[in-house]
Amino acid sequence: MEEKRRREGVLEKAARLTDLPADGLAGLPHLSLVGDRELTIENHRGILAYGTQEIHVGGGSMVIRVRGEGLRLRVMNAAELLITGQILGVELM
Amino acid sequence: MKQMLHKARGVVVLRVSGAYPERLLNALASQGILFWGTEPVDPTTVRLTLHKGDQKKVQALGERLLFEVTVERREGLPYTLAALRRRYALLAGLCFSLLAVFLFSQFILTVEVEGNETVPTAVILAELRRQGVRPGVFGPSLEEGDIAQRALIHLEDLSWMAINLSGTRAQVLVREKIPKPEMEVSAPADVVAKTTGLLLRVETWQGRPLFQAGETVVEGDVILSGWVPVEVPEYSQITDKGGRAVRAEGRIEARTWRTLTASIPLEMEIKSLTGREKRFYALDLLGKRMNFYGSTGISFDEYDKITQIHPLTLPGGRCLPFGLTVETVREYERLSAPIDPKGTARMLETQLRRRLDLLIGEGEVETCEVSAVEEQGLLTVRLLAQCREEIGKTVEWPP
Repeated sequence: MEEKRRREGVLEKAARLTDLPADGLAGLPHLSLVGDRELTIENHRGILAYGTQEIHVGGGSMVIRVRGEGLRLRVMNAAELLITGQILGVELM
Repeated sequence: MKQMLHKARGVVVLRVSGAYPERLLNALASQGILFWGTEPVDPTTVRLTLHKGDQKKVQALGERLLFEVTVERREGLPYTLAALRRRYALLAGLCFSLLAVFLFSQFILTVEVEGNETVPTAVILAELRRQGVRPGVFGPSLEEGDIAQRALIHLEDLSWMAINLSGTRAQVLVREKIPKPEMEVSAPADVVAKTTGLLLRVETWQGRPLFQAGETVVEGDVILSGWVPVEVPEYSQITDKGGRAVRAEGRIEARTWRTLTASIPLEMEIKSLTGREKRFYALDLLGKRMNFYGSTGISFDEYDKITQIHPLTLPGGRCLPFGLTVETVREYERLSAPIDPKGTARMLETQLRRRLDLLIGEGEVETCEVSAVEEQGLLTVRLLAQCREEIGKTVEWPP
């Protein structure tokens, strides 16, 4: 079954057309992966599910699924969070 | 560093149990409460760490969101101090220690002298001690400027002194006086014989010779006179033109005969230890002496007292004003014992030769005879030497 494709928002489209950063303009999540041990997510919308093998993070119009081993939410505030552990994959849903 | 700051503020490890613990994490993040070290224990339980000050807020929020919040662990300085709050003896000890460190750091433990080359450090330290600067004295009570000025009055070879107090150390900086340059002496003088002898050579550099080589002089004879008469020209009507006073100088070499004697009794008094001894212990604390004995009376008639001081020394060799003093008193009695005549004669001969060397200075001994006789309870050693030496001695004219 084919996955439902996410619709691009107006602000996202405007950011794309004007070459402006979409994370700043449209509030899209900004992911920074350092190797396979550290993942920083800015502009998140909170934790949806938390486990050592999988963490789901709200990203507005999408859900970020982080898979791995021994995952831990190292630090978190309203703007960003840091996930550490053996990261095996990051999926957008 | 961050860990240390966290520990200084105090941290609490909480265990949060309830349905969907992620809700609490999101609520904490949205309220700006800092937390870290989040660790899922099971699907309904999360362990997290936060500052001590945020604990009540988190507990209130947890209750509102129907979570069970329990404290697992508390760490950090505030908790350590709180744990000590009821241990009064420990707190008193801590306060006492801090007070002692503060108070004792005000006392002078070492006095260091710098800048002296010819004046011995011991002399300067002794004068400073007389003025009140010594290990164990209370530093703030010293008036460094006045003390330095008073000490300088008694230390004539010093031109400047400064005392710097830094903690337990008194640094004494000194400058020595520059010696006066020796001026060339030009006062009129004669060269006289300092001992009786037969003149071998008379070398006149300045002045008028009154004796020639081959003549005999006795001690005090003027050999070179400082009065030089002005020569009267031939056919002059003036018979006496006077003279001029000079500082007579020259080299007077003569053969001299010196007799030196030394005597020593044939029986000497020696000390013989009886084997009875007493020891007294005392503790030196900051210049004050604490005796560990009751009576200072010594029942021995004659005794030797040996004092041993064991100061407390730091690894670098610096002595602290704390130490143990051990005084040993040993009784002895006087006994009469004959001396060894041969050995004593040799010893006296050595001493006489040494005296002779001092008397003739750079001169040389041509012949030397030594004899030893025992008479009237004395051993007398006589040394007869024929020498060749400088006998001239400059004697200035009285003003």
